[in-house]
Amino acid sequence: MRQPSVIARRVAVASVSLAVAAGAAACGPKDNDAKGSGGNSTPHKGGTLTVLNSQPQEDFDPARLYTSGGGNVPSLVFRTLTTRNRENGAAGAKVVPDLATDTGRPNKDATVWTYTLKKGLKYEDGTAITSADIKYGIERSFAAELSGGAPYLRDWLVGAADYQGPYKDKKGLSAIETPDSRTIVFHLNKPEGEFPYLATQTQFTPVPKAKDTGTKYEQHPISSGPYKVVSNQNDGETIVLERNTYWSTATDAERKAYPDKIDVKSGLDSSVINQRLSSSQGADAAAVTTDTNLGPAELAKVSGDKELAARVGTGHFGYTNYIAFNPKVAPFNNVKVRQAISYAIDRSSVVNAAGGSSLAEAATTFLPNQKSFGYDPYDLFPAGASGNAAKAKELLKEAGYPKGITVTLTHSNDKDFETSPEIATAIQDALKKAGITVKLQGLEINDYKDKIHSVKTEPGFFLAHWGADWPSGGPFLAPIFDGRQIVKDGANFNTGLLNDKSVNAEIDSINKLTNLDEAAKRWGALDKKIGEQALTVPLFHPVYKRLVGKDIKNVVISDWTGVLDISQVAVK
Amino acid sequence: MSEALVASQAAGTDISVPAGSGARQFWRRLRAQRAALVAAVVVALLVLVALAAPLLTAIEGQDPFTYHPSLIDSARGGVPTGSFGGITGGHWLGVEPQTGRDLFARLAYGARVSLGVALGATVVQVTIGVVIGVAAALGSRWVDQLLSRITDIIVAMPLMIMSLALLAIVPSSFPRPLLVALVIGLIAWGNIAKIVRAQTLTLKELDYVSAARLSGWGTWRIARRELLPGLAAPVITYAALLVPINISTEAALSFLGVGVKPPTPSWGQMLTAADVWYQAAPQYLLLPAGALFVTVLALTVLGDGIRTALDPRAASRLRIGTGRKREAKADASGKKVAVDASGKNFAADADSGRSTLDPSIKTIKSADANGEKEDPA
Amino acid sequence: MSGFGGFVLRRGIGTVITLLAISVIVYVVFFVTPGNVAQITCGPRCSPEQVHQVAQQLRLDDPLYLRYWHFLQGILVGQDYSTGTSVEHCSAPCLGLSYQGDQQVTQLILAKLPVSLSLVFGAMVLWLIFGVGTGVLSAWRRGRFTERLLTGITLAGVATPVFVIGLVLMIVVCGQLQLLPFPQYVSLTDDPEQWAWNLLLPWLSLALIEAAAFARLTRASMLETLAEDHIRTFRAYGVGERSIIGRHALRGAFAPIIALNANNVGSAVGGAVLTETLFGLPGIGQELVHAVNVVDLPVVVGMVLVIGFFVVIANAVADVLYAVADRRVVLA
Repeated sequence: MRQPSVIARRVAVASVSLAVAAGAAACGPKDNDAKGSGGNSTPHKGGTLTVLNSQPQEDFDPARLYTSGGGNVPSLVFRTLTTRNRENGAAGAKVVPDLATDTGRPNKDATVWTYTLKKGLKYEDGTAITSADIKYGIERSFAAELSGGAPYLRDWLVGAADYQGPYKDKKGLSAIETPDSRTIVFHLNKPEGEFPYLATQTQFTPVPKAKDTGTKYEQHPISSGPYKVVSNQNDGETIVLERNTYWSTATDAERKAYPDKIDVKSGLDSSVINQRLSSSQGADAAAVTTDTNLGPAELAKVSGDKELAARVGTGHFGYTNYIAFNPKVAPFNNVKVRQAISYAIDRSSVVNAAGGSSLAEAATTFLPNQKSFGYDPYDLFPAGASGNAAKAKELLKEAGYPKGITVTLTHSNDKDFETSPEIATAIQDALKKAGITVKLQGLEINDYKDKIHSVKTEPGFFLAHWGADWPSGGPFLAPIFDGRQIVKDGANFNTGLLNDKSVNAEIDSINKLTNLDEAAKRWGALDKKIGEQALTVPLFHPVYKRLVGKDIKNVVISDWTGVLDISQVAVK
Repeated sequence: MSEALVASQAAGTDISVPAGSGARQFWRRLRAQRAALVAAVVVALLVLVALAAPLLTAIEGQDPFTYHPSLIDSARGGVPTGSFGGITGGHWLGVEPQTGRDLFARLAYGARVSLGVALGATVVQVTIGVVIGVAAALGSRWVDQLLSRITDIIVAMPLMIMSLALLAIVPSSFPRPLLVALVIGLIAWGNIAKIVRAQTLTLKELDYVSAARLSGWGTWRIARRELLPGLAAPVITYAALLVPINISTEAALSFLGVGVKPPTPSWGQMLTAADVWYQAAPQYLLLPAGALFVTVLALTVLGDGIRTALDPRAASRLRIGTGRKREAKADASGKKVAVDASGKNFAADADSGRSTLDPSIKTIKSADANGEKEDPA
Repeated sequence: MSGFGGFVLRRGIGTVITLLAISVIVYVVFFVTPGNVAQITCGPRCSPEQVHQVAQQLRLDDPLYLRYWHFLQGILVGQDYSTGTSVEHCSAPCLGLSYQGDQQVTQLILAKLPVSLSLVFGAMVLWLIFGVGTGVLSAWRRGRFTERLLTGITLAGVATPVFVIGLVLMIVVCGQLQLLPFPQYVSLTDDPEQWAWNLLLPWLSLALIEAAAFARLTRASMLETLAEDHIRTFRAYGVGERSIIGRHALRGAFAPIIALNANNVGSAVGGAVLTETLFGLPGIGQELVHAVNVVDLPVVVGMVLVIGFFVVIANAVADVLYAVADRRVVLA
């Protein structure tokens, strides 16, 4: 409907964090940057920051949250072993230490990772943070009552597949050792060079066992970060955060924590949020949003106004919207049909349906167009700006469809801009010229998710999207293309049902690397290799444009999350 | 009371009944109202545009489905380039943001869906609502309770849940516009039912109805002859308003997936999508909103006209069939008195039998009714 | 039994039966609609084992009648549930726990209901004044400019979807003219003045939509009544025009107005979703939509029951009012 609302919180988006200005103290010179906006004056401590969101901060429990890099608002309360580098642009796609002294020390084959906690870490009540608390925080995320989050802990830790959580299983996870109160050791069942990335997720937040109240913990989680939760109404509808006096910049180089108080309000309509940020009256002048982008209509309005345009931050997140094929369903079992569609696609009309070239970038690769993913700008089936109908027709003829072909595109009826009828209709129009007639099949959103994620009911041709759990090729490619990740009777994301031994072996091989730059290059090459099979047609990568209130300073946008980092903003 | 009767008769008005059958009287009364005629023409035009949409868009040289990416500015969110939203010779009302599809074509084709669905749904709603409302009001206490509680359940059940249930049950091959009209008709008759029940409860206590009952008329005959005319006013009035309400409901249903399948346009969907474009491309919102407003206005005025035309006393008010210039002069001085006076005697016959469309009944009833009418209410 | 006591008893029984019927319908609907509730509740990346655990915990694999029976049990005797670290009791009448967040549905309702009621009753006052007022004016002073203007406004109101009216109002009043700050719900008990100011725009938006029906119904009924015998008689007796309009003609319009109002008020408690969403009012409607989207059955049932309750009560009140307005009507 109105505007493409934020990507669902349960997918790896959460809010975005803007990049961190280079090591500023309470007041200091700001590193001015092309991407971020937010005034030329120096930021100061104090004031109240208002956050206007459309989605509530539901399940504000570190065990349940599914974030990319620890989340935006959650990251203010839940510090983790490592965290994302709070800087603008590509520098922000790196991992840096948070509670730990470094990003982790692996053994030779990256199956054992050791971390040491910094000294002097305290909770909001003054008690010390210990490694046992981190272990407990991870263990409780396995409890059935606290479901949610990403599957990596279950998949990577030794013996975790059967672990039921601390409420049922008193023994605990043997894969995690805490030889002393400042050391924690993780034993993995296969090499994982990207473990430091995983350690940025909220499951790695310390939770004191004595204060654990199970499903009630989310009402008042014990903070290890610069702010503590003083009020959480109606499961995250309104959250008020105040300073945690036991947090200090001595142990936290990443978060700036300028405002004294943060008021997070949700349940607001996206157009209204953008209106309020535009008008910037009263308390809205010191307001930001962590989940609402500018839609095409708002962008059109803002681009005509200089003052407003100066307050718009632009960011990129690792995300791809694509068309998925199920090669078990005819006619998509014929690779030439899939290639024909890849050639025929007119990405410009799809980009327009997604909000125009300022809000969506045409994609020809499955991996997002950022260096940290090892992006290799290949275009295996060059469709040009508006599709290569001639080549498509040729391929269809070779495939045995000289008169064109009729296919059914499955999409959801939800107006979120990823699987919406608008995108589907644009594709229908985009493939017309090549003689491909597209029938549309719209499903109710839950029905849709059910069908596309189940091996038995997966349609042949449908809209899909994928976001990065962290900015690397690993979490982007493996769940989608690793044959061992095909789930027969549950939620399956390997939509192409690819089970290629060489691909699987390459994935294992790259996972051994702890040099993330080298790994990135290999992921890029793997993406290109998989792309040859034409199991997906990448459509576009979204670009996030967000407004801030006029008093907001120090806007930092990293490429990790693509949006403003709330831990960096100042209101004075 | 009797003096008033004499006094009014002495006003010199004509008590003759206009000649001709009931239907013809209806048309004459309708034609006598200029506003209603204009409204009827407008409605006819709208229906014509809807039906002739393919022809009209062929003349324009467009269709509602073709994208024109060159006519929109992709970098600025897809706002139409060109003034007034891209109005040119080839695009009479400009183009749609983000897609570049022709707005006139979308409005015209959208009229088919919206008007068709809304009118169809209204018919269903009125039919069900009237039947249930009358049955509840005339039936025994238990029948009333049962029907009223069923109405309550239907009113309380949110649209989302109903549509979910329907999605599960109805196969996707069922023709969509028909499904939408049926769905809206079947879920939104509650208001009409309640209004009809309320009005019937009041009407059935009126003397002439009791008289009819005493004469031994069966319930359904009473309903048809005595009550339906009395219900005409609120039902027709509300039915005219149901059309825009149904158009909004159709938009909501398409949101939930039970609406017309994309890329078929509909006014409701256009309004929903155009909402945010209010500042950047106002015509995108104003065109369907304006079209809907004109439709509502025309239907309302037409509804008023029909309602007045159905009311036999309106004849005298409208000065049809009496052919007396004297009344016109008397009007200038004391409009209301003359109207009332001239209507009174006519009404004396009419009140006892609102079904004046059948003049033969009139004589019988007035005999009964006049006796009752002597007593002050 | 007759009289008011009998009425209350009959309606009371009717209410209970209606609410039961509603809850059964919602349970059945959710039983047949697609969507893997356990997967949605657990999370998109949950493994089949985790999903199975959640399904067990929430008893999602039980047959329909058993699940409904547990629901009834909860209402009658309450329910025990585990937070993981402790066992808590949800006292009767317990409408269950939200699948998503484990909150008690009754608490959710108590938190959201005041918001919805604030919205609905304020809007009701406005639509009655505006709608009936315009209707009276139309019947009485047809053709005057004010009357034409007001009628035009009500018709524009019914022809425009509520979110369009609301958004445009907000942009113009709050954004451009800056007459009011953007609405933000303030509870009546916290600050009555702010409560009213912040609800002004939502009230106006909702009232503008609904006013048309009242205006037209009032007008039509009044015109019908004005043409009747006894009105002429009153006039002949010299009763003043004002009195005729106000007391006698308007009476004829009571029945449909009361009926329409009852339904509107009742269903708007949960049906004003678009208004609530647009103005950020955390009410029943918004919660209901969210719950349906994530298939949170206990919350959905709870919210629909609340709506059902208000619809039934509103109609009962309406029936009482018919009898009061027209002495001949027998209290059903």
